[in-house]
Amino acid sequence: MTNPKIMIVDDDPDLRQALRLRLRANQFDTVNAGDGYSAIALAYKEHPDLIILDLGLPAGDGFVVLDRLQRDDKLSTIPVIVLTARDPQSSERRALQAGAAAFFQKPADNAELLDVIRASLSNSANRPVLPS
Amino acid sequence: MNDPLAHVLLIEDNPGDADLVRLRLVDGKTKVDVNCVKRLSDGLAALKEKLPAVILLDLNLPDSQGAETFRKILENAPDVPVVILSGQDDEALAMKALHQGVQDYLVKGAFSSSSLERAMRYAVERQALLRSLEMSRRQQLEFKNQFLSHVSHELRTPLTCIHQFVTILLDGLAGKVNPDQRDHLQTILKSVNQLGAMVRDLLEASRAESGKIRIEPRCVEIGDLIRQAVTMMQPVAREKEVGLEVGVDARIPFVCGDAGRILEVLINLIENGIKFTPSGGAVTVQASLVQTDPDFVYISVVDTGCGIRPEARALIFERLYQDPNAVDNSRKGLGLGLFIAKELVTLHGGRIWVASEFGHGSTFSFTLPLYSLAKLLFPVITYQEKLRDDIVLVQVSLKPLIKPSRPGWKETCQRCLEVLQRCVYLDKDLVLPPMTTDGSEETFLVVASTDMKRAEIMMTRIREQLGKLTNLESAGELRVSAQAVPLPDIATGLSLQDQVREVAVTVNEMVRTALAGN
Repeated sequence: MTNPKIMIVDDDPDLRQALRLRLRANQFDTVNAGDGYSAIALAYKEHPDLIILDLGLPAGDGFVVLDRLQRDDKLSTIPVIVLTARDPQSSERRALQAGAAAFFQKPADNAELLDVIRASLSNSANRPVLPS
Repeated sequence: MNDPLAHVLLIEDNPGDADLVRLRLVDGKTKVDVNCVKRLSDGLAALKEKLPAVILLDLNLPDSQGAETFRKILENAPDVPVVILSGQDDEALAMKALHQGVQDYLVKGAFSSSSLERAMRYAVERQALLRSLEMSRRQQLEFKNQFLSHVSHELRTPLTCIHQFVTILLDGLAGKVNPDQRDHLQTILKSVNQLGAMVRDLLEASRAESGKIRIEPRCVEIGDLIRQAVTMMQPVAREKEVGLEVGVDARIPFVCGDAGRILEVLINLIENGIKFTPSGGAVTVQASLVQTDPDFVYISVVDTGCGIRPEARALIFERLYQDPNAVDNSRKGLGLGLFIAKELVTLHGGRIWVASEFGHGSTFSFTLPLYSLAKLLFPVITYQEKLRDDIVLVQVSLKPLIKPSRPGWKETCQRCLEVLQRCVYLDKDLVLPPMTTDGSEETFLVVASTDMKRAEIMMTRIREQLGKLTNLESAGELRVSAQAVPLPDIATGLSLQDQVREVAVTVNEMVRTALAGN
């Protein structure tokens, strides 16, 4: 069985690397994007099983990415976990309403983040496929 | 020319005095348009029509006397300068008015055209100055908030980076770590977490200052919250070898509040308690009811620490205050914790204070409003001075199909509550405010003044209506049930108030059992 593929979207290369190390150690494959535009392009190309998304991004912020993902039939089923330095009071509700599956403020607790990643993956796997 | 004094509202009931003022105004250099009314009510009506440049105000009017008069005017036209026309004998009152926001006063019969004009002009100028000061104060506050929000965001990114890589090293993801290295890494992690908490407090304090903290009050089981806070702080206490205990009266009713925020206050007070208590000491968290103040629960965090000097006690809840004499062998924080705690408690409608004897420990106490079921129930379950014959507790539970719950779960629950409100008879049934839960399941409770047979009909209606909610089926599993509420024996001669109170106690217990069964 192949490992689930997670796309990491963050403009900070160090944070991308840290997440990649953490996820690989937990048997996930990863792909990376550093801005909103390449995140959307990469989502089409790689069709990841889950996306970890920063909100403050160059070339289309996280909300633009969320919106684009939601509007595509194939991509809208991918669970998105928002991981941002922004303040939950101002961003959490908006992110969840925009279709995010969960919201974490940086720095997030690793164990908690991994739990939610695993739960979101199993939820989306069990989700009935709607007839098109 | 558009003169700033163009329009003056004169509120004066004595025709002689009014004429005199008008005469002085006509004599003056500036052409003024005067609207003269005799009663306060007419003056307030005139303010709604057109805002004058200045209000000339007599304090003793047919429909309002003394301080009340200028208070009403200031309330209704906070931006219009007011000059009081006072009698010889009430200059003291006029002085009081000045302290409360009136710009100037003139003693009747003792002013000339020029002094009247000057008083009005100065009043206009000063008012404008005040307004611009207030505006720049607000701008500065807003600027500070934005700045802090930006700073805390920017600080979080490098903080996250350190946190991530330290945990990667600690978890052995980059190779084996020897015990010494592990120790050092733990120290870094602890410091990073402290830094993170400070960044959070900084933003929170600036928000508190500008009234931007939001609370979402619910029905909260305070005992559970206290136990939760104590469990979270137990490792910290253990590390310092300080005992941490709970003493909660099991029968404390529900509290009305925001569980997350109350937890913040508790953790803050417990953390302080541990910090200032030497090894071997103890911190105890208590909750109890006080007979003289029946609408509140009293929560105290008692420590056996170093205590607080009397002069520090008054300042301890101030922003940034830190007792310079505090015996504190741990690192100092920003001095924002108690300030934030006070703001949060105040937002809940409670009070916070400290009692302490220097050298003999401190007790921090705060109050939270009790959620008074009896008060809510009274109009619903009584009819013609009697308790209704049948009362039923209907329980509607919604369990998310998947965990963690999907985005929008909160919204779905909110919509359910709204639908539920429409399924009941307003004067006969009561939808209880939502209870705090761990988020895994939402339970709504309705106290219905009806018998079990009609309750069945009600439940069918609830199922039907909630079933119509879009997405509900895919979001959660719905369960509706009902049980009769045992009523007090009327033969015991209890007053109606006491009967309702007894029903409230019974319902409270049933709710507790229902929630515990989830």
